[in-house]
Amino acid sequence: MKNLLRSVREYHMNEQGVRHGLIQGVFMCFFILLLLAPAGCTKKAEEGGTTLHFVTWKPNIPEAWEEIYSIFRAEHPDIELVKEVGPHSSTAFHDLLTQKLKNRSEDVDVFLMDVIWPPEFAAAGWAAPLDDMFAPSERKEFLDGAILANSYNGRIYGVPLFIDSGILYYRTDLLEKYGFSPPRTWREMVEQAVKITSGEAGKGVEIYGFSGQFKQYEGLVCDMMEYILSNGGNIINPETGRSGIAGKHAVEAVRFVRDNIIGKIAPPGVLTYQEPESLDIFIQGKAVFHRNWPYAWEVSNNPKRSTVAGKVGIARLPHFPGGRSYSTLGGWQAGISSYSKNKEAAWTFVKFLTSERIQKLLALKAGRAPTRKKLYGDAEILRAYPHFSGMKDVFLTAYPRPRTPLYPAVSNVLQRYFSKAISDPSSDIEKEAVAASREIDRLLALTK
Amino acid sequence: MLSQNSAARHAEMKLSSLSRERIFALALIAPCFLFVVVFAFYPILYSFYLSLHRIILGIPSLGQPFTGLENYRDLLHDRIALHSLANTLLFVFISTFLEILFGLIIALVINRHFRGRGMVRAAILVPWAIPTVVSSQMWRFIFNDQYGLLNYILYGSDTSRYSAWLADPVYAFSAIVAADVWKTSSFAALLILAGLQVIPDELYEAARMDGAGAWQRFRRITLPLVKPAILVALLFRTMDAFRVFDLVFVMTQGGPADSTNVLQFYGYKKMFTEGLMGYGSTISVVVFLMALAVTLLYIRVMGKGMLKAENA
Repeated sequence: MKNLLRSVREYHMNEQGVRHGLIQGVFMCFFILLLLAPAGCTKKAEEGGTTLHFVTWKPNIPEAWEEIYSIFRAEHPDIELVKEVGPHSSTAFHDLLTQKLKNRSEDVDVFLMDVIWPPEFAAAGWAAPLDDMFAPSERKEFLDGAILANSYNGRIYGVPLFIDSGILYYRTDLLEKYGFSPPRTWREMVEQAVKITSGEAGKGVEIYGFSGQFKQYEGLVCDMMEYILSNGGNIINPETGRSGIAGKHAVEAVRFVRDNIIGKIAPPGVLTYQEPESLDIFIQGKAVFHRNWPYAWEVSNNPKRSTVAGKVGIARLPHFPGGRSYSTLGGWQAGISSYSKNKEAAWTFVKFLTSERIQKLLALKAGRAPTRKKLYGDAEILRAYPHFSGMKDVFLTAYPRPRTPLYPAVSNVLQRYFSKAISDPSSDIEKEAVAASREIDRLLALTK
Repeated sequence: MLSQNSAARHAEMKLSSLSRERIFALALIAPCFLFVVVFAFYPILYSFYLSLHRIILGIPSLGQPFTGLENYRDLLHDRIALHSLANTLLFVFISTFLEILFGLIIALVINRHFRGRGMVRAAILVPWAIPTVVSSQMWRFIFNDQYGLLNYILYGSDTSRYSAWLADPVYAFSAIVAADVWKTSSFAALLILAGLQVIPDELYEAARMDGAGAWQRFRRITLPLVKPAILVALLFRTMDAFRVFDLVFVMTQGGPADSTNVLQFYGYKKMFTEGLMGYGSTISVVVFLMALAVTLLYIRVMGKGMLKAENA
């Protein structure tokens, strides 16, 4: 900056030397940057104990995580826990983490894995198999679906930390006021939303019907999958193992979203929303219905952050007539890098993080649904989250996204297709679906 | 015999002093050369090498088979790549054109004498000095549908009319262009300003004596003489525009409906998200070759332009 200003000043002093001075300034800047670059990378000297690097994302409720870290530090003074905080978005976090693992970085010991990653991380050799440490008897304590998500070719690569599944949030006060019970079909939801928003608009209250996640990113696949499955369609046909998105029911569901949700009961802005933005609308009291993961319960009922605290209800996601309700399985796992030099300390931390008491803490303070079966009968958790008992089978039956080591590539095709189909009212959904199907089948064929 | 000998020795000494000088020169160049080799040539060649193989990180069992030009053939039939290419070219064309236009206007203004000119000149550089990631984030907020500044300016507190700019394919693309133009016009202005300053005042005085108006002076004197500087700015801006990435990454992630997906971002997705190292490298190589072609074209044109300017 200084050099830049200096070169600007040189204009006045020496008009002939304008270019010269500028170029010099630019080079100086560059040179200084080069000198500074390695300084940031120098490692702290290790003093006897083990340094453990934990790569995690930016949490929604940081206080809960800080508490967990401080408990661990107090109990394990010999392990110096260094956390590296990546971006909130799963896709961006994936790119950062895999970049480190690709380079066999020793600065990664323990990392969080999205539920869709274990096959990829296992196949690429990034995640260390945990069979020796994570005993089968111990695995029985966890939800079956979560364990399955961490298994690949008969080995296990992660320990489930918390589970996610799509849930419908709604405004209890508004539904009551207009005499509605939570909608069972998507059509019902649209009708209720239209009635409530127009009724409220008459009183000068500006409110949207619905908010969800429809930006071109991983969350779009989660949201759209719920519509498709609840109409009897599928992403990958379980019988043929090939893409099912060009099927009649799948296309119908996508068309419903485009024609009835985007820009209709939901603001067009949802096309740019990930979870935080869509939740903002809801907690500001500007949406009747909202689709999100379980953590939104905690946030929307927190009077410090939410204007609708105490007026929030949750229900299963709606479905189409003749179909049944589906939730996308999400959730995060703790994994250990194959290149970690401190696997023992890493396992200590993973065991701690996924233990009953920490999962309970995460449930109580961060609203994260536990992966240990036992906690669904825990009195304290049920008192704070009465819905956990009623929603237990939603968590148990949450539907996984396609399990393939090439999932990121498959997901990119899906994201592109869904985004195109729902954001462009003139797009030919059938044609786009067929083209996307062909691309997905080509990718799936590579792994066979 | 003796004189012959001494002459030879003399020549030898001369040669050695000459070669010593050459060695010294080489030694001075070496670090810079090494720098370029390590940080420019090697990555380019390695990308090219990768682009000839099929490398999929998710399936290491495939190995790294040599596939010749298969990746390049696939690229030609990849509708998303072609779409991204079209987006990239459109972006390069529109943004460079606007940047040069605004750059020229800014340069003409700050070339005049007025009070506080130094301040203005420094202020003009601020957008350029802000890291792109930061300014992209800022523009993302400006275009936000709920609390964006643009909506506020257009509609005030009438929130019902607020528009989701980044949710519309055409507006989202325009938003990226606007952010780029805002950021780098000042850079173009800087280069053009340098060109303006070497135009001698006598030319304008003579023209004024001959009764030339302001427009004529601009058309006949300023424009032809500042042309080399404009070409330099054009070259830098085109090459930079080809590599547009951070704006898209922060503002839209290529969406909605791929309307802002550019070639560099697509290549990044292929390589870093999907783990298709070979195919991703192919895209990088293609972007490199295109930028190179543009550069060579400009250098040819610019060379001619410079010669003409000198002859005149």
